[in-house]
Amino acid sequence: MTEQFKLSRRGFLTSVLGAGGALVMGISHDAFAATTATGPWDTYGDAPEFTPWLRIAPSGEVTVYATHPDIGNGVITQAASYVKEELGCRWEDIKVEYAAPERNHALNNFYADVGGALAYFSGRSTSEARREAYFSAAAGARERLKAAAAAEWEVDASEITVNEGELVHGDQSLPFGQVVAAAAGIELTEEPKLKTREEWTFLTKVNPAKIQIPQIVTGKAIYGMDVILPGMVYAALRQSPVMGGTLKSYDFEAIKNMPGVRAVVEVKPTEPGEPDKIKGPFPLGPTATPSAIAVIADHYWQARTALDALPVEWDDGDGAKWTDTEMMNQAALKGVREAGENIELSVGDVEAEFAKGGTIVEAEYLTPYCEQMPMEPLNGTALITENSAEVWTPSQHTQQVFAITVQETGIAPENVKVHQTFVGGGFGRRVYGDDARVVVAVAKGYPGVPVKVVWSREEATRQGRYRPLMASYMKARLGDDGLPTALLARAAGGPGVYVRGLPDTALTLLIPNAQVESNVIRDFHIKTGPYRGPGFNSNIFFTESFLDEMANAASQDPLDYRIKIYSKWEDEGWVKILNVLKEKSGWGTPLPTGQARGVAIGNWGMGGEPHKGTTCGSVVHAEVSNSGILKVHRIDIAFDCGRVMNKDAVQVELEGGAIFGLNMSLNEELNIKNGRIVEGNYDEYPLVRMGDMPEIHVHFEGLTDHERYDEIGEPPIGPVGPALANAIFKITGKRLRTQPLRKHDMSWGSGA
Amino acid sequence: MAYKLKINDSEMEVDAAPETPLLWVLRDHLGLTGTKYGCGIAQCGACTVHIDGVATRSCQFPLEAAEGVEITTIEGLDSNGEHVLQQVWTAMNVPQCGYCQSGMLMAVSSLLKDIPEPTDADIDLYVDNICRCGTYPRVRAAIHKAVEQMKA
Repeated sequence: MTEQFKLSRRGFLTSVLGAGGALVMGISHDAFAATTATGPWDTYGDAPEFTPWLRIAPSGEVTVYATHPDIGNGVITQAASYVKEELGCRWEDIKVEYAAPERNHALNNFYADVGGALAYFSGRSTSEARREAYFSAAAGARERLKAAAAAEWEVDASEITVNEGELVHGDQSLPFGQVVAAAAGIELTEEPKLKTREEWTFLTKVNPAKIQIPQIVTGKAIYGMDVILPGMVYAALRQSPVMGGTLKSYDFEAIKNMPGVRAVVEVKPTEPGEPDKIKGPFPLGPTATPSAIAVIADHYWQARTALDALPVEWDDGDGAKWTDTEMMNQAALKGVREAGENIELSVGDVEAEFAKGGTIVEAEYLTPYCEQMPMEPLNGTALITENSAEVWTPSQHTQQVFAITVQETGIAPENVKVHQTFVGGGFGRRVYGDDARVVVAVAKGYPGVPVKVVWSREEATRQGRYRPLMASYMKARLGDDGLPTALLARAAGGPGVYVRGLPDTALTLLIPNAQVESNVIRDFHIKTGPYRGPGFNSNIFFTESFLDEMANAASQDPLDYRIKIYSKWEDEGWVKILNVLKEKSGWGTPLPTGQARGVAIGNWGMGGEPHKGTTCGSVVHAEVSNSGILKVHRIDIAFDCGRVMNKDAVQVELEGGAIFGLNMSLNEELNIKNGRIVEGNYDEYPLVRMGDMPEIHVHFEGLTDHERYDEIGEPPIGPVGPALANAIFKITGKRLRTQPLRKHDMSWGSGA
Repeated sequence: MAYKLKINDSEMEVDAAPETPLLWVLRDHLGLTGTKYGCGIAQCGACTVHIDGVATRSCQFPLEAAEGVEITTIEGLDSNGEHVLQQVWTAMNVPQCGYCQSGMLMAVSSLLKDIPEPTDADIDLYVDNICRCGTYPRVRAAIHKAVEQMKA
């Protein structure tokens, strides 16, 4: 009996029919799944350790250590799947825990070197090195188990096979657990070869659901916000409303008799240049503490009520000079109206080409500050004593939190512990660890008891590390065939603005004369950071809107125009995706008046090279009424990340990513008033809901089977926005060059 | 002030200010952390519980109003995870980060009590919770699947 058959027999067979046939799939999910605890997950214990990735207990339980916090993307299930494949244990015997960053430190960075900011404790969960680390650990354990059984039976280890947690030789069999103690001590003369993908029986065959779902649907999962410790107190937090401002004064007397109130803790801004006591993946800059104040009370609601009543005065600092959003927008636009100080790419001679005249297309675009808005507001819990520190955190990067805790407390690394909890969404917001630094700084001011520091939703929204406000200017000359012969792209934004996605994307690299320049607006005080698809999320809007403008100037079908351009790119995935979209979306088939389809395509992670990163394209079918009311009917997504191992996990990410991309482009914007962020909560920062959902169709036919399993979380957020703007143009004749799209007057025809 | 509450069929006593939102009473005073804080202004629905069987956003429901009503939280839906919605949610890989899903499940279980076979329009109306991960298509599909299983 094949392993696959056994698993399907035990699992559910589901066949799902969604609205309008939006989701039709058959998934087999094991009912007896691998598991995780509700938290904390770094218990270790004394089961024999084969490598720091893997322990097997005499009971047969296999503990897999994961470094990447699972932010809902399924990375712990992925880790379990790698081990299941090579070890040959039962799926339901696997339990995943997090590898503690302090253990990584103690083991001289066994899991991850500190140097690579996103190496092993955050992001890049699909990296080949990480995959091979799990495969090797599991295959090595399997062969050691075989060797131990061979010694027991006095047979040759090569005659032993492994089946669902059992070692088998002829008629006799032994469960793994019975030989683990002996096996863990065995040294192999050589490490085993890894299976080829043709030999896989679990990966690509079984598509397990995320193993933590049973904890989620029963409310038992412990997120950072849910950590409860003996003697714990709560802190409500307020940071300088203008980033870079400082606390002038406050009056504790006014609140000290309020119920439950214990203290006020002031956090001072981290001094620039403070020497790092330990090197973290990210430097001090983006993680420095702001000037802040926290009210400590017995319960959160008491702390929050008292904070609201606390008289506080701030010195706003230089940032207050930005009186409104428009002033910052104009500063960014000014940055693209003059030559760029940084030349990111220069090929051929764009100016000479422009001087030839002919069809010239040019346009300016702008994307605003946006907040990641994970559903779990920022928080963390820390217990700081004179010589020890312990932190519980819903982090996206525990190694960074570990370094920050050491830096912020000065406590020896051996006496610092970091516990990863469930994470209520990340999208990049919890990578830098600036939130953890504030938690530690507050707890340091109220030592000896665990302090849970909670950002209100408004506080989290207004104290972000945002998608940068970014402007661009694009200019192209089209040849007689309508295709571009020269492209100038200029980008500008505040410190931390991401240029990648402009000089290193296929469009730019295919044009014989191309120049990419950038300017940094140094006095932008708003802090930015990794928001899902950093850089890509703005730059694809610029390039793919502009490509549409070129196609329109050349009077060519925008999808066919893209096929013409990208057929010259060495990576066949682009054209494959476009052809899949053309066929599956009904491209070119007639639609009622007021409806149209738009297309866009891009790549996350290619870094200027073919067959790298994930290419993702989208066709959006939209409707705009004459009075300008927009309805999105359908989104088609096709992609190429090379290969996939868990089809359903990939589909989930693409569905969610398309929705994220839709919301980002359509709805999201943070405004500035006198240096402060205006929007605080969902009433001011709208997110799409169930009733706003278009049909979403995910197509796997764009996969090229190139030998890579590239990233899938970030790519889908890119193409949806420009595809939608392109559809709106087709309907209304209005080219929407700034996000959020909802703010534009889309009325047309009799309604205009 | 001390209040007597009936939560998940158990009597519980809480000493807190009368205006304290039920959300924080559940979480901080009673340790029922399955009910989540997302916005505090009844927008996102992460804090949804049942009050006398009706889906209610507990962040805007004061403690003083909570005496004499029956409160059900996600912990009371089925602590063994055997409720049909919990089963279907797991099998169909619905949650991503999962933070909003307690509220989703409470909203959906209330919907199915009122309308055993909801249309998509009913779902849009009853389940207006916010999910940043974008689980909406799967939530909708899972509701239809659960209805199908309950009928079978």
